[in-house]
Amino acid sequence: MQFCRVRSVAEAVDELSRWGTEGRILAGGTDVMPQYLRGEQSPAALIDISGIEGLQGISEVGGVTSIGALVTLRRLATASLVQLRHPALAQAAAAVGAWQTQTVATLGGNICSAAATADTLPALLVADAQLMLVSKSGRRRVSLEEFLEGPGATALRPTELLRAIEVEPLGERTSEGNLKVGRRSAMDLAVVGLALRLSVTPSGVVSDARIAVCGGTRSPHRVPSAEAAIAGSQLIDGRLDCAEAGAELASAAVPERADSAQYRRRVLPGLLSRLAERCVTAILGAGG
Amino acid sequence: MPGAAGEQSVSIRLIVNDRRHQLETPAGETLLGTLRERLALTGPKEACGEGECGACTVLVDGAPVASCILAAGSVNGRTILTVEGLAGTGELTALQQAFVSHAAVQCGYCTPGLLMVLTALLDDTPDPSEADVRRALAGTICRCTGYQQIIEAALDAAQLMIRSATS
Amino acid sequence: MLGSNPARSDADAKLRGEAVFGADLASPGMLWAAVSRSPVAAGHIRSIDVASALKVEGVLDVLTAADVPDGRTGVIVNDIPFLAVEHVAYEGEPVAMVVADNRASAEAGAQAVGIDIEPTEPVSTPEQALAPGARLVHPDWNRFVVAGGVDIGRDGNVVAEVVHDPGDLDEAFAAADVVVEGTYRTPRQYQAHLEPKMALATYESGRYTIEVSHQYPFRLRDRVAQILGVAPSAVRVVGHHIGGGFGAKLDVSLEAFAALLARRFRRPVRMQHTALEERLVAPCRANAMVAVRSAVRRDGTILATDVEIVSDSGAYANNGPALSSIPMFVFGSIYRVGTARIRTRNVYTNTAPTGAYRGVNGPWLVFANERHMDAIADALGRDRRDFRLASLARDGDLMRNGQPLEEVSILREAFDRVDELVPWRDIVSRNQRQRDAAAPSSPPAEAGADVLRGAGQAAAIWLTNPMPGHATVKLNEDGTATVITSATENGSGAVATGLRQIAAATLGLAAEAVTITMPDTDATGYDAGSQGSRTTHVVGRAIADASAEVRSQVLDRASQMLEAVPEDLVIDAGVVTVAGVPAAGLTLGAVAQAATWSDGPITAGASYVTPTPPHDPACATGMLIKGWPTPTYHLHQAEVSVDVVTGRVTVDRYVVCQEVGRAIHPDAITGQIQGGVAQGLGFALSERVDLDHGRYVQRTFKAHGLPLAEDVPKVEMIVMEHADPAGPYGAKGAAEPPIVPVAAAVANAVSDAIGVPFDTLPITPEAVLEALEAEPNGEAVARAAREPVLNRDGEQERDTTGRAS
Repeated sequence: MQFCRVRSVAEAVDELSRWGTEGRILAGGTDVMPQYLRGEQSPAALIDISGIEGLQGISEVGGVTSIGALVTLRRLATASLVQLRHPALAQAAAAVGAWQTQTVATLGGNICSAAATADTLPALLVADAQLMLVSKSGRRRVSLEEFLEGPGATALRPTELLRAIEVEPLGERTSEGNLKVGRRSAMDLAVVGLALRLSVTPSGVVSDARIAVCGGTRSPHRVPSAEAAIAGSQLIDGRLDCAEAGAELASAAVPERADSAQYRRRVLPGLLSRLAERCVTAILGAGG
Repeated sequence: MPGAAGEQSVSIRLIVNDRRHQLETPAGETLLGTLRERLALTGPKEACGEGECGACTVLVDGAPVASCILAAGSVNGRTILTVEGLAGTGELTALQQAFVSHAAVQCGYCTPGLLMVLTALLDDTPDPSEADVRRALAGTICRCTGYQQIIEAALDAAQLMIRSATS
Repeated sequence: MLGSNPARSDADAKLRGEAVFGADLASPGMLWAAVSRSPVAAGHIRSIDVASALKVEGVLDVLTAADVPDGRTGVIVNDIPFLAVEHVAYEGEPVAMVVADNRASAEAGAQAVGIDIEPTEPVSTPEQALAPGARLVHPDWNRFVVAGGVDIGRDGNVVAEVVHDPGDLDEAFAAADVVVEGTYRTPRQYQAHLEPKMALATYESGRYTIEVSHQYPFRLRDRVAQILGVAPSAVRVVGHHIGGGFGAKLDVSLEAFAALLARRFRRPVRMQHTALEERLVAPCRANAMVAVRSAVRRDGTILATDVEIVSDSGAYANNGPALSSIPMFVFGSIYRVGTARIRTRNVYTNTAPTGAYRGVNGPWLVFANERHMDAIADALGRDRRDFRLASLARDGDLMRNGQPLEEVSILREAFDRVDELVPWRDIVSRNQRQRDAAAPSSPPAEAGADVLRGAGQAAAIWLTNPMPGHATVKLNEDGTATVITSATENGSGAVATGLRQIAAATLGLAAEAVTITMPDTDATGYDAGSQGSRTTHVVGRAIADASAEVRSQVLDRASQMLEAVPEDLVIDAGVVTVAGVPAAGLTLGAVAQAATWSDGPITAGASYVTPTPPHDPACATGMLIKGWPTPTYHLHQAEVSVDVVTGRVTVDRYVVCQEVGRAIHPDAITGQIQGGVAQGLGFALSERVDLDHGRYVQRTFKAHGLPLAEDVPKVEMIVMEHADPAGPYGAKGAAEPPIVPVAAAVANAVSDAIGVPFDTLPITPEAVLEALEAEPNGEAVARAAREPVLNRDGEQERDTTGRAS
C-alpha cells in the first residue's frame, strides 16, 4: 500500500484518477483506518487529503452556508456561526463519538461514508444540503438526498472528491433541532437520530416542516408523509400536536417488521414531540 | 493487513514532546505504533485498538485524538504531546498532582489518556463545570474508578491553575 | 497513618507514563507468536493447512496439537487440551500457534492458517445442554480427571452439581398462604480490563521465566507447570503493573504457549491478545438462571424457599464448580427464608469458558434474592423496606452450611444508617405523588411529566477470600523497610497503599519509607493473588505479624544500645527513643546497621490463611467452598428516573452503606465503591454480552456499552467499621463486594418506577419501552400489582403470583 499526501484539490483529483477504485480517500480516517486495521479494506493507496487547506473553511455565500468537506465535527459543534445558523447540525456533530473522534472526523467523511447511522445527515437533509463534487473532468452539484444511494453507497464516482457542502440557514420564524438516541451518553452509533426544521407563521400555522431520520436499515432520509402531517397545523395554546405525525413517522421511517425495529418505532413519536416543543418554544420566544 | 509485506514507507516529520523527529514509517502505521515502536514512548497505551477507549489519547496541535486509529502519515509536520511530555523531567503538573491527591489513579492504564484529554479541556475551558468534565471524558473509558475521583481531580486542578494564574 | 490517605506508591510512575505494564514489555531478540483459533462454536477438525501461514514473510513455524504435549489440564477439572485435538468446543478455541520474527507477521500468519472444520450444531445455552437427549459437549467427559479426586456431581453436560436438600419443603408449601415464584435471568459480563492479556517467556538453564501482568502469579506458575508437564519450581513468574484484571487475569491464558515456544526456539517469545481475541476468550461472568419459589404466610413469614440454579460454564470447567457453592451463602444468610432447598448446576455449552469476574456469581444471586424479596413484599402488599427489616436474619442464625451468622445485625445498622441519610418513606411518598400527578393514559405534555421515578434496595453479605499469603519484612540499613511478597497490585491500592500503611504503622515508619516488591514466585512465599478482597486482610495480617517481629528485634537491639528495657522504648517516625527521653533517640537506620554487623540483618517472615469457619460438612453434596470467612455487610439504595420516551434509565441517586472492618485508606475504599457501582450499573443497564448459536454477538469494543463518565452518578457512601479481631488493625476486605448488590437495587428501582417486574438483565431502553407499551396504564397496573393477592376464598387454596420470565 502507498500513502499519497496531497496538498491541493488539483493534486487530489489527479491521484484519484490515477488510482480509481484502488485508492481510498483518507480525511480524518475514523472510518477508513479501523476498517483497514481490521483487514476489511486493503486499498492500494491511501490518498491523504487532510492537508488541503482550501477545504477547511466555513463561509456565507449568497444566503447559504458553505462548509468545506474537511471541516471537523468538533469545529461544527463549537463554531458560533454553526450553532447560530445551523443548530441541528451543531447538535448532531456534538453527538458523534467523543472529543477524540470529533477532532479528526470531518463532515465530508461522515457524508461519504454514508452509514445508516451517520449522525450529521438528518440535520443536513432538513437544511436541504447540496454537495459540491469535483473531478478531473469537471464539477457537479448534487443534493444530499440524491447522493445517498443506500447504507455505505453514494453517487460519488471513484475519481470524484467532495469539496464542499452548501446548507440553507434558518429563515425567519424557523427553528430546528436534532436528537440522538444511543445506548449510552456518547460513543455510540445512533439507534435513532431525528432532525426537525419547523417554520411557523405569525398566526401560528406551521408553514414548513422538514423531518429526517437516521439509524435504521436505510440511508438517512426525509419523511415526507410525516412532514405533510404537520404542515398546515395550527398551534393551540402555543403547542403543536404531533400525534398524527409521530405515528406516520414511526410507520414510514421504520417499515421493517423485525424485532430490532420495534424500539425505533416506539421512540420516534416521542422524540418528534420533544423536538417540536423545543422548536415552537424557540420560535415563539424569538418572534412572539 | 497492517504491517504485512508490500507496504511502502512514508516519510514523516513530527515534533513530539518538543523534540523533532524525521521518520520512515509503513504506509498504514498508526500514530500510536509510531510513538510506541519507533520513539519508545509507551505512555500512550495500546488497548481497544478501535478508537473506542481513549487509553491511546495524545494531543495533536493541542487537540485530543485517538492515536490508535490515526494514520501516522496524516499528522506530518504536526506537534504531538504525549503523557511523557506533561511533566517531562520536572514536577508533576497541577492536574497530575490533583490525580495523586484525589486518589484518581487505580490500575493506571487509562490514566495517560485521561490526563491528555483533561489537559486539552483545561486549556480550552479553564473553568469547566462538572458537566463539561464528564462530557470531555466521554471518549476515555476507565473501568476501575467509576470516574468520580477523576472528575473531582480535574475540577480541583482547574481551580488551582486559576488561582496560580491570578496570584 | 491508618485511616489516612497517603499517596499510592505507583501514582507518580503511572501519571508520568513511566510505569511498565505487561503490554509494554519487550526483550532484545524476542520472537512474536500468535494463536490461530476456531472460527466456529463446535465441529470436527478435518484438516489444518499450515502451508500458506508458513509463506507469510517473517513466519518461522506453525505448531498444531501434534507438536505440543497431549493430555488435558485445568483448575478443577482437567478438561482443556493444549491445542484443540480433533474437535473444537467453542469459537476462539486455540487450534494452532504461529511464531514469527515480528508481531504483524505472527498475526498475519495466524490468520493464514487454514482450519477446515466440519461444523456441528452447537449446544448454545444451558437449557439446551440440559435438555433430554442433548448432544454431549464432551462425549469423553467421564475420562476427565478432577483435582483431588473429589466428587462434584459431574454427569454428561453437567460439570458440577451442588445440592442442599433438607427434605421437608412440601409440608411448608402446603401450609403457605401465598406462593411467590420468580425466574431471574442474567447475561454474561465482560471484564473489559483495558490492558490486553500478554506474556513474555524466556527459557534458560532448564527453567522458564514468564513476565506478565497477572493477578495470581503462583497459580500461573502451577498452571504453566501442569500444562508443560514440568515441576512448578521449573517455572518462575515475574509480575509487572497490571492494566486491570477484575478476575480475568487469574488463570493461564497465553503464558504456556509462550513458554513452550521460548524453549523450542531458545529465544524470548512475546504474545498478546488482539482486540478481538480479548473478547472471544475472556472468562466472562457466567450467564445464569435462578428460579426461586417461596412459601409465605400472610404475616410475612417465609416458610420455605426452593431455589433452582443453572449457570453456564462454557466449553471448559474453569472455576465454576467451586463457585457453585456460593448460593449456599446467599439464600438464607441475609433474610430468613425458612427451610431451603438449593440446587445449583454448572453446565457445559459450546461457548467460551466463563470464569471469575469481580463478585463472581454474587451479582446475579443477589439480583435473584432481592428481586424476589420485592416480589414477596408486593404480593403481600407490604412496604418493601419494612418487609426486608422484618425478614432480616438475626445474630446466631445459621447459614445453610451450618455456619453461625455472628454479626448479621450489622445489616440492620446499615438499614438505619441509609435511612438517616435518605429516608425511605420520603422517597416512596415523593415518587407516589409524582405518579399520581402524571396522567398515564395520555402522551406526556408537561416537562418532567415524561419521567417515572422509582427506588430500590438490595443487601448482601460478602466474604473476604481466605487463601494463603506470606510476607517477609526486612529492615534496611538506612532505616527504611522492604516488604517482600507476591501480593499483586491490581489497581485497588491494596498493595500500593494498604499494605504499605500496615507495615509502616507497625514499624513506626512513614508510609513512604516502606517499599513493596513486585511479585516474583522465585523470591517470595506463596500468595493467592488479587481476588476476593483478600490482599489487605490476609497479606496485611502476614505483614502485620512479620512487622511486629521485626519491631521486636529492633527493640531488643535498641534496648542494648540505649541501655533500657524494650518495654520502655517507643518507635515513632523512624526513631527509637526511651519513653519520656525524646532527646536520646536512635534512628532505625542506626539500629539496623548495628544489628546487621553484629547478630545479622533484621528480617522476619509470616504467613496467614483465614481459618475455615465452623460449618456442617454434610450440609450439601458437591461443595468445594465450605465456609464464608470474614463476611462484610452491604446495603445499596438506588433512585432512578425512567424516560418514558426513550426508555433510558438514569440513576439519580445511589447510596452505598458498606462495612469494611477497619478503613486503612479511606480514599482507596471510596474508589473501590464508586468503581464497583459503575461496573454494576453497566451490568444492570447498558452492557451487552449476547450469544447467538454459541458465538458472541458483540464483536467490537464499542458494542459492549461500558459506562462512560456521563453514565455514572457520584455514589454517596457510608463506611461502617466493625473491627475484625483477626484482621490487620481490624481490616476486612472491601474491594470486591461493591459490585454485588448493584443490579438488584437498580432493577428493584426500575420495577418500582414502571410497575412492571424486571427479572431479566440488562434493563435496556428497548425492554423498558416494551414493558411500558405492554402496560399502557403503567401506574394503574403497578398499583394493582401491589394489592395483596392473598386468596379470598379460604386458606386451603394457594394463590400463585406468576412472575415474568
